[in-house]
Amino acid sequence: MIDQYVWRGGKELMLRFGPSEGPLAIVTLPLFEEANRLRAFAVTLCRALADAGVASVLPDVPGQGESLTDLRSCTLANMRSAMAAAGAALGRSDRNLPYSVALRSGALLDQDLAKAGRWLFAPQSGDNLVQVLDRIRRTSDRLGPGASGKQDVGTPPLVEIAGNRIPARLLESLRAERADGDGDLPQRIVRLSHAFQPADQMVEGSALWRRAEPGNDPTLAALLASDIVAWIAACER
Amino acid sequence: MLPENHGEIDTTIRACLRDVLGLSEARVAAFQDDTPLFGALPELDSMAVAGLLTEIEERLGILIEDDEVDGEMLESFGALVRFASAHAPR
Repeated sequence: MIDQYVWRGGKELMLRFGPSEGPLAIVTLPLFEEANRLRAFAVTLCRALADAGVASVLPDVPGQGESLTDLRSCTLANMRSAMAAAGAALGRSDRNLPYSVALRSGALLDQDLAKAGRWLFAPQSGDNLVQVLDRIRRTSDRLGPGASGKQDVGTPPLVEIAGNRIPARLLESLRAERADGDGDLPQRIVRLSHAFQPADQMVEGSALWRRAEPGNDPTLAALLASDIVAWIAACER
Repeated sequence: MLPENHGEIDTTIRACLRDVLGLSEARVAAFQDDTPLFGALPELDSMAVAGLLTEIEERLGILIEDDEVDGEMLESFGALVRFASAHAPR
C-alpha cells in the first residue's frame, strides 16, 4: 500500500507492507546512489517480513528516490527529522514503538526516530560514505569520458557526484557521524561474511550496493528477514 | 615471482568482478591473464571501477590510493591481479 507522511519540509511517500497489527519495522534506505541499487532489494525484504507476519514501512527520504524535495535544500538534521516524522505518522504508542531496520548509510538517518531497537545491515559510517563518494568522483575524473564529478558548483556550494548534486555542508556534517551505537537501545549488526568488521551475525551474499546495475537477491532478503523476525521476537520477550 | 597468496588473490578478484559487475560464475572463471577489462567490458564504467576498488579493498584488507588508479592497472585481468598482489598484506 502506498501511504504518505508529512514532515516540516513537505510530504513524502512511504510503502507499507504486512499486517496492521503486531510488531512493525521501519526500513531506511542508504543515501545517494546506493539507494537506487538497494531499493528493489528493500522491497523484497519488506515482502519477506510480511510473509513472516511482521509489518514494515519503507519511507522515501527527502531529496532521495522519488522524493519531490530538492536534495540541494537538504541537511542531515532535516533528513533525520523526516525519518522521525515518518515513524510518528505510524501512530504507535511508547509501549509499542517500531523497530528501526537500516541498510548501509540508512543507519545515519534513524537517530531521531522513536524506536524500540535498531537492526543494521552492513552499516556505513559517515566518514566511509564520504570517502566512497570522493572515490566515485575521482575515478570519474581520471577514467570517465568527461568529468562527471564537479566540486563547488552553484550556491549553496554543491558537489556533483554521479548525477547527485549534494550540498557540501551535508557531506561535511555526515563525515563525523557513526552508524552504530545509539544509547541503551537493543542493537544488532549483520554484515556480509567477507567484510572483516565486527558484527553480531555474518551472512553469505554479495554487496548489492556496489553492483553496477541494480540487482536483487531474494535468498539474502529471506535470510535477513528471518534474522529480523527472530531478533524482534527476542526484543519483545 | 608470484606471491605466496597469489591463488587466493586471483580467486578474490574474480569474485569481486562477478559481484560488482553482475557477471556469471562461468564468465569470470574463464578470465585469462590477458582478458581485457576496462574498455572491453561494458559493465565496467568509471563508476563501477570505484565500487570494484572498494570491494577489493574490503575483501583483501588492503588500501588503494585513488591516485594509483589508471587505465593500465585495469587493462587486463592479469594486470588487476598483479596490482592487488602488490598491495596485499603478506
